[in-house]
Amino acid sequence: MTPPPEGPTRRRPIAVPLVALVTIAGLGATAALGGFATAAEKPPKRLGQGSTVDQEQFTTTFVGSRTLSEPGLFGSPAKRFLEIELRVVNKGDETASTGLLYEGTLAGGSLGTSLLKITPAIKGKYGASLFSPTGGGESTQLHPALPTSVVVKYELEDKQRIPKQLTIDVGKYEWREGVTLAPGWFLVTEEDGGKEKPVVTAQVTLPVVPKGTRS
Amino acid sequence: MNVSSRPQPETLPPSPSRPENNPRPGSRSRSGAPARRGTTAPPSRWRTAGAVLAGIALAASAVGLQAFRSGIDDHDAPLTSTGDIDEEVTGSRFSARVKAVHAAKAIAAPKPGGERERVTAKGIFVIVEVGATATWEPQRLGPPRLLTGGGHRYVSSDRVDQTLTITNPYIQPGWWTEGVTVFEIPPGELPDSRILLAPSSGFIVEPNGPEIEIDLGLDEAAARRLTSTAKDVYELASRT
Repeated sequence: MTPPPEGPTRRRPIAVPLVALVTIAGLGATAALGGFATAAEKPPKRLGQGSTVDQEQFTTTFVGSRTLSEPGLFGSPAKRFLEIELRVVNKGDETASTGLLYEGTLAGGSLGTSLLKITPAIKGKYGASLFSPTGGGESTQLHPALPTSVVVKYELEDKQRIPKQLTIDVGKYEWREGVTLAPGWFLVTEEDGGKEKPVVTAQVTLPVVPKGTRS
Repeated sequence: MNVSSRPQPETLPPSPSRPENNPRPGSRSRSGAPARRGTTAPPSRWRTAGAVLAGIALAASAVGLQAFRSGIDDHDAPLTSTGDIDEEVTGSRFSARVKAVHAAKAIAAPKPGGERERVTAKGIFVIVEVGATATWEPQRLGPPRLLTGGGHRYVSSDRVDQTLTITNPYIQPGWWTEGVTVFEIPPGELPDSRILLAPSSGFIVEPNGPEIEIDLGLDEAAARRLTSTAKDVYELASRT
């Protein structure tokens, strides 16, 4: 073994401090220019009647909205309903449920949970029910790869005013699995003031056709 | 650890009596004792290297074993017994068999009033005739599922009256309870389908419950034959 060359040929170790300096300067510059700030939110797409939204678990077409009236039983006054018609394809691997409208739960993978908000808010007598009405035998199931019509139906109060149009905030699902988390569909969320809230991917506005008929 | 915690009786007396002849049990294992008598030599380089290598090997195998770890899906997966159509398949708590598979475009079922209600399929209805018997205790089946060749799971359709299907009666030990279950699927999903049967879970979520998987024996050609000869209406029998 030859001894290391002495004195003048030995360089000062500068690589590590230099890299550190460059890194710090780079991070500092990025921070100063606002590079670490949260990226601006993409505004939700604004869509109209007949448009289709890809919700990852479902592909949902917003067919339309209308009011209906059904004759009351045994001479009682006719009942009035407001409904929103959707056409849904379940792209997941398992039968899903039509479920209930969003009530703050992020998990579950039901269609209703991904309909985050309807403006103006409709209360109806008993809230909304979601089901598939076609072909006799109402169903609350959304089978994989089987296109299914779904209605969101409200029974209206006697003197309730009917809005001219409705806007539906539509969320999106993602498949999540983790070490402790049972795998499943969860709504895509974002941080908002320290709270997790679901992302609105699209806002669909539908005119409410008075006394319409189902397509 | 043991050596250093109570060294006095062990290290002092050995000079008169040789440790090999020491009758006291347990003294044999104190192999570290001689090192205390000034004969300390640093462990040889080979031993250190061996120990390091053994450590690395153990750590590596521990990491490697993670590859065989069961996933979160498996933790609450049922214990499945499998079999074919026309075969008695025995699970831990119940046995089941599939007698026949039918396809139909619509289903007519009796309604409480007496008239029949017709339900038309969005895809196609697959009606599976199932028999089941319990091993010890009476129980009911949960909604059966159809696992298709494409990997989709279809829960039995809720469009037919559930009281007319195999999920309604209690499955008793000692005899076979027969019934049907109805699935609604796109016709193309039928090949290589299997039916999954499990006891109804109720409120208690059972992590590794029994499950029976029966292959319906439908290859591509058989599935096409079944869907192309699908009945217009399948008459669902009323409750017996």
